Amino acid sequence: MTSRNRIPTILAVGGFGLCLLVPLVVHQDYELNVLFRIALFAALGLAWNLVGGYAGQLSLGNAAFFGIGAYSLPVFHRLGAPIVVALVLGMVTAVAAALVIGRVAFRLRGPYFALATIAFAEVLRLSAKNLDKITGGDVGIQVPALFASDPSRWFYWSAVALTAAALATTVLIVRSRFGYALQAVREDEDTTLACGIDAARTKLLAFLISAAFTALGGALYASLFFYIVPDQVLAIEISEKSAIVAMLGGAGTMVGPIVGAVLLETAQELFKNWFQEAHQLIYGVLLVVVVLFLPDGIVGSVTARWRKRSAR
Amino acid sequence: MEVKLWSLVQAVLSGLLTGSLYALIGMGMALIFGVMRIVNFAHGAFMMLGMYAAYVLFDRVGVSPYVGFIVSAALLFAVGTGVYQTLLRRVADRSDFMQILLTLGIAQIIIGGVQVVFHGDFLQVNLPLRSINLRLGAQIAINLGDLLAFLITVVLALGMFLVVMKTRFGRALRAIAQNRYAASLMGIDVRRTQAVAFGLGLAAVGMAGGLLLPAFYLYPEVGGQFTLKSFVIVVLGGMGSVEGAAIAGLVLGVIESLTSLYWGNEWALVVDFALFLLVLSVKPTGLFGSQRV
Repeated sequence: MTSRNRIPTILAVGGFGLCLLVPLVVHQDYELNVLFRIALFAALGLAWNLVGGYAGQLSLGNAAFFGIGAYSLPVFHRLGAPIVVALVLGMVTAVAAALVIGRVAFRLRGPYFALATIAFAEVLRLSAKNLDKITGGDVGIQVPALFASDPSRWFYWSAVALTAAALATTVLIVRSRFGYALQAVREDEDTTLACGIDAARTKLLAFLISAAFTALGGALYASLFFYIVPDQVLAIEISEKSAIVAMLGGAGTMVGPIVGAVLLETAQELFKNWFQEAHQLIYGVLLVVVVLFLPDGIVGSVTARWRKRSAR
Repeated sequence: MEVKLWSLVQAVLSGLLTGSLYALIGMGMALIFGVMRIVNFAHGAFMMLGMYAAYVLFDRVGVSPYVGFIVSAALLFAVGTGVYQTLLRRVADRSDFMQILLTLGIAQIIIGGVQVVFHGDFLQVNLPLRSINLRLGAQIAINLGDLLAFLITVVLALGMFLVVMKTRFGRALRAIAQNRYAASLMGIDVRRTQAVAFGLGLAAVGMAGGLLLPAFYLYPEVGGQFTLKSFVIVVLGGMGSVEGAAIAGLVLGVIESLTSLYWGNEWALVVDFALFLLVLSVKPTGLFGSQRV
């Protein structure tokens, strides 16, 4: 049993090791940036998956945490904080925001919860546009560089590291008592309460962890772009995409968000080159096809089929 | 002092004019949510489609959007029943997740499709009607185009309200909203009624699109803000309540207008969402009563 349990771990460690070696083969900034985005959205999808996949709460407001992470870097840096401190402060701020948002939004269920998270993210986006003394508004703000030399490679490596950390956290959580509580909430919240599990606290804790990872992702993204505006880092598209990569790969599966991010980002990049103006249309068709034919996501559907076969 | 009072009256009036269109958009959303329990994330994208339809009519045939909105409505009714039969019907029993994801995908398809056909250019309709202002006394001015749109909207909203509350079909809609299973036992064809309801919901937002066209720049992503607004409206009005959405739309229009007057235009949407969150956390059933269609 123990040897069987080790195989996925070895595979995962080996896989991430290989990912770290990629820059030896890939040298162009453009290609490295595409790979960066794949890794970034894998991490964002994994973070979303904790709340959306395991706890079953459809958050569509993760852009709030992404944006807080992104803006904390320049804002705290300008106030005199060293970059690393600004990075940590960004995570802390995002977790604090998640505490407030979660307190309000988790009192609601189903679509109401999703709408409340969207509203919070939109309030932040619009406020960031209006409070131009702090954020630079629509003109934008310059973000300090995290890496002085060879940035494309280092950004790629940090995104891969973030994904690895998010995956490791997911594995630890899913195997813990807390992870079982999360999944119990997803299956039946009322029964969970009857079993003596504090559903509200369980969901909130997952939300806080998710916010911390998302904020780090936002900071990486902002620093790579060097210059950010609210409509970019607080956009509802960021929230939607975090959820979509996870659901495409399989919400509530450990590697689903990674698979989803690889497929979606690659597809989007190829579509942009192949179809030019039609890329958004094709992207929409892809989404609809996944919902209709792969409702459990790619990883979910494949494992379900595999289980059926081995049960025979 | 008197000048301030007049600007307040002016703000409330123009808020009501805009709000009537919000009401129409919200009523469509509420109808769809009430009868299908689907949060339509493609609502604004469908509205944009209605705007383009009215634009093409104006551009090629010279039909004013204040007439062309009828074609927008008919087109969207057809699109709506078609989309229901081919796509939404299949996810009727799936999770909220999947339904939301599907409507997001539909929105992408519509926006992407329009992008291919019309490209991303900003388009505009110039109507001589809109350069006429009706003056009430020295202080109050009302744009003739806005007034016309308001009057049309009031008629349409009343009509929609009567359909939902007074007709046999409306009773079937409300029955499904209350209990889908029991409705089917009473001999109501749930699928067909839902298809028509989705078509009607989209027709409402399509009309609003046509009527809004003269006041807005047109581009493929123009609908996004209206999707968000329609969320605010249906939550304020009580999810699924058509008359609640109508009142909430008017209220939202006035609130936006007053916010613009006192705090500046850029804070109007922030206040929308703050209000939305306040209602969600204090009275999730909406400001105006209980859940029903």
